[in-house]
Amino acid sequence: MKEDEKILEKAVKALKDENVPSGPSQELKNATINKLNRVSEQPNTIEFEKQLHFSDRLIAIKSLAKFAVAAVLLIIIGFAVGRLSNPQPPNMEEIQASLEPAIREQLLGEIKQYMQLGMANSYVRLKDDLTEQYRRDLNQLAANVVNASGTVTNQLLQDLIETIDEAQAKERQWFTAALEQIELNRRQDKAQLGNALASFAVRTEDELQQTKENVEQLWSYTQTDGLVPNEFENSNNKN
Amino acid sequence: MQVVDWNIIIKEHGPVVWQTAYRLLGNDADAADCFQETFVCALELSRRQRVRSFPALLIRLATTRSIDQLRRRFRHERIGTNGHNQLEGSNNNTDPVQYVQQQELAARLRIALTQLPLQEAQVFCLRYVNDMTYRLIANELGITTTAVGVILHRAKTKLRRFFKASIKEPRSEVVL
Repeated sequence: MKEDEKILEKAVKALKDENVPSGPSQELKNATINKLNRVSEQPNTIEFEKQLHFSDRLIAIKSLAKFAVAAVLLIIIGFAVGRLSNPQPPNMEEIQASLEPAIREQLLGEIKQYMQLGMANSYVRLKDDLTEQYRRDLNQLAANVVNASGTVTNQLLQDLIETIDEAQAKERQWFTAALEQIELNRRQDKAQLGNALASFAVRTEDELQQTKENVEQLWSYTQTDGLVPNEFENSNNKN
Repeated sequence: MQVVDWNIIIKEHGPVVWQTAYRLLGNDADAADCFQETFVCALELSRRQRVRSFPALLIRLATTRSIDQLRRRFRHERIGTNGHNQLEGSNNNTDPVQYVQQQELAARLRIALTQLPLQEAQVFCLRYVNDMTYRLIANELGITTTAVGVILHRAKTKLRRFFKASIKEPRSEVVL
């Protein structure tokens, strides 16, 4: 801020300190005096303008007065002419008779046009109403059909589910019975097999005993022939 | 109607009018035009009303005419610091650089004055270029001394802003 102030002060000082040539010159002075003389010789424009305004105003008032007089005369003449040329009162019956057909025709035309317009409007409105009603009925019917079909479908599906459940139950029962039968058969087979194995074991033991005896007997026969193998005898002792 | 001897008026107050016009305009031709216009205006004014102080009136008229002339010149030529006619006859005692700086500042102040409102420029010039008192300025312009102070403050503020902006952008033309 101070810097700006300084710059401004410097600028003002520079402007004031500028070298101004001495003057004005004598020529300029003379020219100025001549110009002043010329200007002073001219009439005072303000007073002239005032006078001019006053004279203009007088002229305007005069012309306005003339115009007003002319207007009044014109109005009077017009009034007189109007009074003198006042027409006779018209015959109302003739006028009525002449106007009635035209009015009737025009009225009929207007009524016809109005009716046509009204019918056209009512036709359009009726058409719109019917269309709207038809659309509503169709929507209602479609909704009913959809509801009914849904109910029937649900019933059929319910029946199908029940049938499938029954079939599955029967199948499970049959399957259970079959499993029970298989189990029973298995147990019977197991029991028979056990019995058979037991009898087979007993028989096998008997047969082995029989075979042993036969072999001993056979051995005794062979011993009697003089042949006494020591090893065979030892093995029998061990047994 | 006031009777005035214009020869005496020109002889006595012509130099002040010339200096005022020349300081603000910076060249002979414009200053001469302004000089003549000032005295013609003073003549017309003296026909309409009584002049109490011719020096103050002439200085005010010269200032107003000079500012008008500056504005016209600025509008037509868009003068800048480079396009302005330099003053003739530099002072041989001053440093050339300082002289150029002073010329630059004076030219910038002239440009700034053209961008001020007329009344502000007028009051500023009367106060700071012609060293007139607040009361004299108020009497001449038909305003109060308070109004003179306010106008002067506004003018200085705008001029400071102009110089601040012109320092930032020295080549461009700054608009207040």
